Amino acid sequence: MAYRLGIDIGGTFTDATLINEKTGATRIAKVSSTPGDPSVAFLRVSERILREADVPAQEVRYVVHGTTVATNAIIEGKIARTGFVTTDGFRDMLEIARQIRPSLYDLQFEKPKPLVPRYLSFGVPERLDARGSVLTELDVNAMREVAVRLRAEKVEAVAVCFLHAYLNPAHEKIAGEILTEVFPEAVVSLSSEVAPEIREYTRASTTIINVSLRPLVGRYLQNIEDRLRAAGVQAELLVMQSSGGVFTFAAASEKPVFIVESGPAAGVIAATYLGSALERKNILSFDMGGTTAKAGMVQDGSPRVTKDYEVGAAARAGHGSGKGSGYPIRTPVIDLVEIGAGGGSIAWVDSGGALRVGPHSAGADPGPVCYGKGGTEPTISDANLVLGRINPKFFLGGEIELDIAKSRQAIKEKCADKLGMDVVTAANGIIEIANAARVNALRLVSVQRGYDPREFTLIAFGGAGPLHANRIAAEMQVPTTLIPMSPGIFSALGLLVTDLKHDYATTMIRRVDALDTREIQEAFEKMSREGHAMLLREGVAENDVQFSRQVEMRYVGQSYELALALPNHELAIDEIAGLLDQFHRAHERAYGFSAPTEPTEFVNLRLTAMGKISKPELHELKNMNPDASLARKEARQVYFAEANGYVDCAIYDRYKLGAGARVQGPAVVEEFDSTVVIHPEYHADVDRYGNLLIERD
Amino acid sequence: MMGGEGRTTKDERQRTNGKGRTIIENRKSKFENRNSKFEIRKSAISNQQSPIPNLPMDPILFQVLASALVEATEEMAIALKRSAYSTNIKTRHDFSCAFFDRALRTVAQASGQPVHLGSLSESVPRVVRMYGPENLGAGDGILFNDPYMGGVHLNDITLISPVYADDVLIGYVANLAHHVDVGGGAPGSIGAFREVFQEGVIVPGVKLVKQGKLDDDIFRLVLAQIRSKRETAGDFRAQVSANITGIKRIGALAERYGVDVLNTFIEELLAYTERRTRAEFYRLPHGVYRAEGVVDNDGYAGEPVQLKAQVTIDADGILFDLTGSDPQRRAPVNSTYSQTFSACAYVCKSLIDPDIPVNSGFYKLVKMIAPLGTVTNCTPPSAVVGGWETHSRLCEVILRALAEAIPGRVPAGSKGMMAQVAFGGVDPRDGEMYAYYEALAGGYGGRRSKDGPDAVQTHSQNTENAPIEESERGYPIRIPRYELVDDSDGAGKFRGGLGLRRDYHFPDHDASFSILSDRDKWGPHGLFGGRSGKKAHYILIRDGEEISLGSKTTVQLKAGDTVSFQSCGGGGYGDPLERDPQMVLNDVRDHKVSVERARDEYGVVVDTANWVVNEIETERLRASITIKSGYAAGMETRIHANHA
Repeated sequence: MAYRLGIDIGGTFTDATLINEKTGATRIAKVSSTPGDPSVAFLRVSERILREADVPAQEVRYVVHGTTVATNAIIEGKIARTGFVTTDGFRDMLEIARQIRPSLYDLQFEKPKPLVPRYLSFGVPERLDARGSVLTELDVNAMREVAVRLRAEKVEAVAVCFLHAYLNPAHEKIAGEILTEVFPEAVVSLSSEVAPEIREYTRASTTIINVSLRPLVGRYLQNIEDRLRAAGVQAELLVMQSSGGVFTFAAASEKPVFIVESGPAAGVIAATYLGSALERKNILSFDMGGTTAKAGMVQDGSPRVTKDYEVGAAARAGHGSGKGSGYPIRTPVIDLVEIGAGGGSIAWVDSGGALRVGPHSAGADPGPVCYGKGGTEPTISDANLVLGRINPKFFLGGEIELDIAKSRQAIKEKCADKLGMDVVTAANGIIEIANAARVNALRLVSVQRGYDPREFTLIAFGGAGPLHANRIAAEMQVPTTLIPMSPGIFSALGLLVTDLKHDYATTMIRRVDALDTREIQEAFEKMSREGHAMLLREGVAENDVQFSRQVEMRYVGQSYELALALPNHELAIDEIAGLLDQFHRAHERAYGFSAPTEPTEFVNLRLTAMGKISKPELHELKNMNPDASLARKEARQVYFAEANGYVDCAIYDRYKLGAGARVQGPAVVEEFDSTVVIHPEYHADVDRYGNLLIERD
Repeated sequence: MMGGEGRTTKDERQRTNGKGRTIIENRKSKFENRNSKFEIRKSAISNQQSPIPNLPMDPILFQVLASALVEATEEMAIALKRSAYSTNIKTRHDFSCAFFDRALRTVAQASGQPVHLGSLSESVPRVVRMYGPENLGAGDGILFNDPYMGGVHLNDITLISPVYADDVLIGYVANLAHHVDVGGGAPGSIGAFREVFQEGVIVPGVKLVKQGKLDDDIFRLVLAQIRSKRETAGDFRAQVSANITGIKRIGALAERYGVDVLNTFIEELLAYTERRTRAEFYRLPHGVYRAEGVVDNDGYAGEPVQLKAQVTIDADGILFDLTGSDPQRRAPVNSTYSQTFSACAYVCKSLIDPDIPVNSGFYKLVKMIAPLGTVTNCTPPSAVVGGWETHSRLCEVILRALAEAIPGRVPAGSKGMMAQVAFGGVDPRDGEMYAYYEALAGGYGGRRSKDGPDAVQTHSQNTENAPIEESERGYPIRIPRYELVDDSDGAGKFRGGLGLRRDYHFPDHDASFSILSDRDKWGPHGLFGGRSGKKAHYILIRDGEEISLGSKTTVQLKAGDTVSFQSCGGGGYGDPLERDPQMVLNDVRDHKVSVERARDEYGVVVDTANWVVNEIETERLRASITIKSGYAAGMETRIHANHA
């Protein structure tokens, strides 16, 4: 037998998921995280799940790790002491950053503190022009002096980013060699290798984040590897990337900037996998837990990735306020819009008499009022409880008994009385307002990018996602909502169903009307060779290597590109016309206009090298009885605004629903880690894998 | 929330300092306050038991629509940025988007440039009324930049489009973008002009977009006045795209919820915003506060441009009286009513809860007296291109007036100038005209508990820098240097931020180069004993020789010339002798403050061999120095007096 083991380390818990490659059967385990040394919990949960499943360590083929170690290191300032080398005259690139304030009207704002202090930033005489030609040769003596200084300053890591080096890496290469020679203990990253793309500040920032994480991430992964090997695990060890692919521990240690959003990517990957297995290629993913909700989009079977990302930024929406509050990176990150509207988000009434939800959260401690752990501020979970949607006696399968009286009291005092409305109306309002924020997040990832949500399936998961999904889908006019089995641990599945992946990019700004297709082909081939070699080193069989090419295009003069797929061969002349046509149409969709007479240009060539890993089969239900009434366990009063009040609502046990069963709304379907609410005039069908598909009657 | 009825305000306060510059007058407004406050409460509360005013509208739908409308304007902003051509719009985000209702009140706006947002609330209503709402059909778009019809400087061009749902007018979307060139006397349309007709093409509100199509005649006519035709044409299309996006989104909302509901919501939103804003104003210390300041010069006369502000805060809102500011000049520093208004609106917004939305419910409480014919409200044909300098300095003067009244909230003097650079010529690479524009950052003022950030945009301006690689690629120039200006901080317990330096080199062609800036005579003021920031420098480097340029000038460059733009540092806050020596040490180590200034201005002796503070020497030195700080000299409100 062969197994895959996924380990996801979060702030509170470390989760393990074990999947049987053949049957698709999964098992989960949870232990408390050990922030002092995360590898302790890693080993503990691995041992536990293998023991419980009675699986010998040797039978694990892949271990895939989702981790926040990189992000946390940046946020907590635990990165390596790093030096920065750039072109003379530009050492303040990091100090100046984008020269903006992260919030418009805040007189007390702060700029993010540079990751390298000014006294460890050095300018060296050298200069390239905007075509990559040398204007001034690198002053190797000056470079040598800088290397000596950095060594004396006892830095652990050095980032090199010269102007226009994305076009010509020669000077950076020499600088790297000098550093290695003078200062062999230091780890060095060159911008031309980490992120060879135009715009010096973002490229430098990406390079610095990469190199400053390398010592820490390298040690961290090595430690895990040593312990796993000692425990008899011979599996390939992989890490989830921010873009949703996985790569080896060795690759992650070299390029840790690729794993800054390792954790959140998994949920979208799981949704992609499930969607593909069910022939649903266009998906909106909605992941709601205790503190946040995250919206993502999958189009044609591929999750959307962004390259406009700031680590440690205040807002995640990618626009508007919050820009300039973090550190930009130019490596691909799964495009998620995150909003502070999880189950623990607090409801309040502002000074203008409006009901508000979030952004403050009661978190896990004290948590919602109903937990009885000292929380006094009403939360979304409290509102759900008052409305009858959560079963007070079956929360986490009955592990915690919820106090509905306390929830009512808190909503009354903190919201209803102030608004002059009754408790139930206020509770419903809390839910509606939180839903509106989530709808906005989903709109940001779909409509705003020119996609019609009516062509998508909403896959909702996380402990709280299925409570709200039906209502959100109705508002978005999404025709089908899919709730997978065990939504609370669905994300972790993403760790186990992704391919080995390496992303490469080359900036090659060329007008389309004067394209040298040979030159383009050569650039792609160079990236392919690199990816190919990498995958073979990682143990991927020749037959499982796949490449996909993309070009980012724009009208000459624009700065934002649209990505289009390219064939895996040298472009033929007649294909260019088709490509242009695609570009104009994509532009029309995104911005409402196209300008077919305007010149266009290629900007970045992107290549993804993938090592296909066989996907586990979906686990089929054994219960084939379509009679839903067999799963009905009780009835409860549940509030629905569309029914103008509480209705006698059937409650179902999800584990007893057979394939083909139909649950007619209004209804609530309960399972260990989540609750599914089906609204009046909607129904849910159980498919043969146990998924609930909610649609309008 | 608002204070209870029994709460008394301190109606009578006198906080004069030694020089009597900042004066808080007696107010006999106790009963007025109470009465007007009662009015607010009565109108706002529908439920007698309720301690907080209720929204007559369903509070849930209210919140849903509030976020949806702001989101719609944000989507406009994204469409504009992503499809624009000029670095100034696509990368530097020098634009703003907003939605207005049928009655032409500002309802929602994207987080853009505060400088634009306040002015749009003035200009859009005037232009639509002038053109006649009845003459605007679905798919039409009015193009506009006339400073004397509510506009600002000519570069800021606004496109206004009506939003209809089933033939019913819902309102208007508008976006304003700073175009890199609008013709006129110098590339980038920035320069020391004497009247508005030298500044470029004036668009009085014409229908550029007719039923969704660009009017080719008008488009060609406008473009014919402009140097960077291709780029600007692309930017205009991006502006059209932004409005299309806004119309779609808001139209969909109207369809989803019904026009009546949307209209009711708008009324409620404005009332809600007004209520919350009033509550905030009520909490500010009521009184009358004054300050003065100057723009260094007007570009022609050496005489500084005097600005005066008297700020009255009471329960009715805030009144800015700018009476006493200098008469308008035959020079570029004249500010239009809209430009001046946006300075006042910016300061108000920065003093209240940032959570309060910005719309007409807020703007209507910002009252301003700006006498006609002065630099704060100029008449035709005054040049207005440098009106932003006056606007920026007004932000400083107003904040200065409030510094003692609202202790801890107001920073020391900041960059407080637009710091604009524009240049152009014929690009030797393709023989076409080009124009370039950007605005540079400077030091921010120190705050009560923290330093002023280095190299950052200040007040109503928040545009990004242009990446060097993008600038060198797109334009035939080279940027040899982009760095902080060491020792430009105003010393203080919390120091001002450093200014920055950006050099522009023209390797192979002659060009015209304009600076529209200020602060090369006096740096930003310090507060409570903090020193002023170091002044700005504008230098032409020709054949190895450095020639000082004025702050408002256009020069003809020869191939091989370099212009070095060095902005000012921010003012310090509090006595520099009270600065934590460790912070001084860090600054010395970072080369931000020299060893000499650490000793002379901060009284800190740094041991650079071991990078530690020599504590004994420092204590002795600090005890022996009596620095004549700005604080000791009295809280000077005449900003330049700090430098006299």
